Amino acid sequence: MVHLSEAQETLKKYREDNERKSKEVLNLWESCVKHKIKQLGNDRYLVLEQVLIAACDCNRIDIAKVCLQMLRDKFPDSLRVQRLSITILEAEEKYDEALEALDKLIKADETNAQTRRHKVAILKAKCQNIEAIKELVEYLKKFMVDQEGWQELSNLYLLEGEYAKSAYCMEEMILHNSQNHLYHQRHADIRYTQGGTDNFELARAHYSYAILLNPNNVRALYGLYLTARSLMSTQKSNQTKKATFKKIATLSLKRVEHMYSEKKQLNKKNQLYVLETLMGSLHLSLN
Amino acid sequence: MSKVSFSTLAYCKMVSHAAKYPHCEVNGLLIADNATKGNKLVITDVVPLFHQCLHVSPMSEIALTQIDQSASSCDMYIAGYYLANETLDDLSFDKPAHKIMDKIAENEADVCMVVINNRLMGINHKQSALIVHTQQDDGKWKRLNNSNVQIENTTLAAASAILQQQLYNNLIDFDNHLDNLSLDFLNTEFASWVEKTSGLNMGRKLVISKLVS
Repeated sequence: MVHLSEAQETLKKYREDNERKSKEVLNLWESCVKHKIKQLGNDRYLVLEQVLIAACDCNRIDIAKVCLQMLRDKFPDSLRVQRLSITILEAEEKYDEALEALDKLIKADETNAQTRRHKVAILKAKCQNIEAIKELVEYLKKFMVDQEGWQELSNLYLLEGEYAKSAYCMEEMILHNSQNHLYHQRHADIRYTQGGTDNFELARAHYSYAILLNPNNVRALYGLYLTARSLMSTQKSNQTKKATFKKIATLSLKRVEHMYSEKKQLNKKNQLYVLETLMGSLHLSLN
Repeated sequence: MSKVSFSTLAYCKMVSHAAKYPHCEVNGLLIADNATKGNKLVITDVVPLFHQCLHVSPMSEIALTQIDQSASSCDMYIAGYYLANETLDDLSFDKPAHKIMDKIAENEADVCMVVINNRLMGINHKQSALIVHTQQDDGKWKRLNNSNVQIENTTLAAASAILQQQLYNNLIDFDNHLDNLSLDFLNTEFASWVEKTSGLNMGRKLVISKLVS
């Protein structure tokens, strides 16, 4: 039996860290919080909201409806509670009904970012990516500081194979937070995928910056190796440049190798062998 | 290729990968044994690749190089590709990441592609959740009739047990490996979990058999 205060702490931690631990939340609800919800004080409405969303995630509509009823009794006119009822519609796959209700909510309060975001999510659930992109672009014109919005737009463009637009969204993210190594790495990933000498150069710069910010970012290290290798093959005549790129490629692989050797694991030797073949292909592509 | 069969290990790993990340799209590679090449394709193992961002190519290139290397070192080959989409009813396979499949088909003739039907991912597996496609002569992918896809009942039972006991959380994909290099994306440990749960012998699986000189 989990103690109530313990459960309350855990739930709070999940909320604050924005963790998607729906099954865990439901287990806590079923095992203890359910019967003692009144003892939670003002915290209980946040918990009810959290459990409702988790229940929708796990297809336990019955639990979600119980939570919704309790919230409705307390806040009959709240937009936030109405939005939760839409979440339940969405979980029941009544997408059109959900969209209709959402449009009403958007009209009622045009400044509410959450309702608009919700609409994009439902369009995505209906596999209407193009419409979702349109809606999200409109939304970002009004709410330009929403980083998660830009990230989602970047992902949607990737799905459609629109690399240049996707990269633009990542640039926007970097403007918001230039010290996040993951943004630089993703931006470089996209540029590398796009291909072409200019994009490889951009990828090299951003991978390098990602590594500067976090020397343990393995994706950026591997990425830098690949980019340098591709750049090497574009430099037919310029031997000094070619030598520089080779050095970059070798250095980044050396760093990965070093990271493997730090780990105490059984298959370390095997992994090093695989790395050696990567190194081998580097030498081959030189000739 | 007219018939495809899947080993218990391969099936359990694919289903586990999709179950571990129910809110993400996932993909991975199918592995077959050179020794069983014939008129039937036998998928003995799979390597789960990504769940974070499938549609950029750098890490796929690294993963493919490493896995190709490991496979040929134990006399196996990359025999296909599997994917599960993010949204429930999406069974498409025309997104950018899935071009990997065409690359694999260029190198090998005996290949297939699997789309996981999210609707059939219940914790009591009555039927296979896999939709198998093979390549036609004109390069297009065509769905293979279910009667030509062999999955044993014991495999479905093992998969149900794994889903019920939530063992899928122990599966490691290449993304997990990149986040923490000490995690083993060949899933030796997971295979022994499956073996214990199902009581079946897993047969040959992908390992890195050559040691560094």
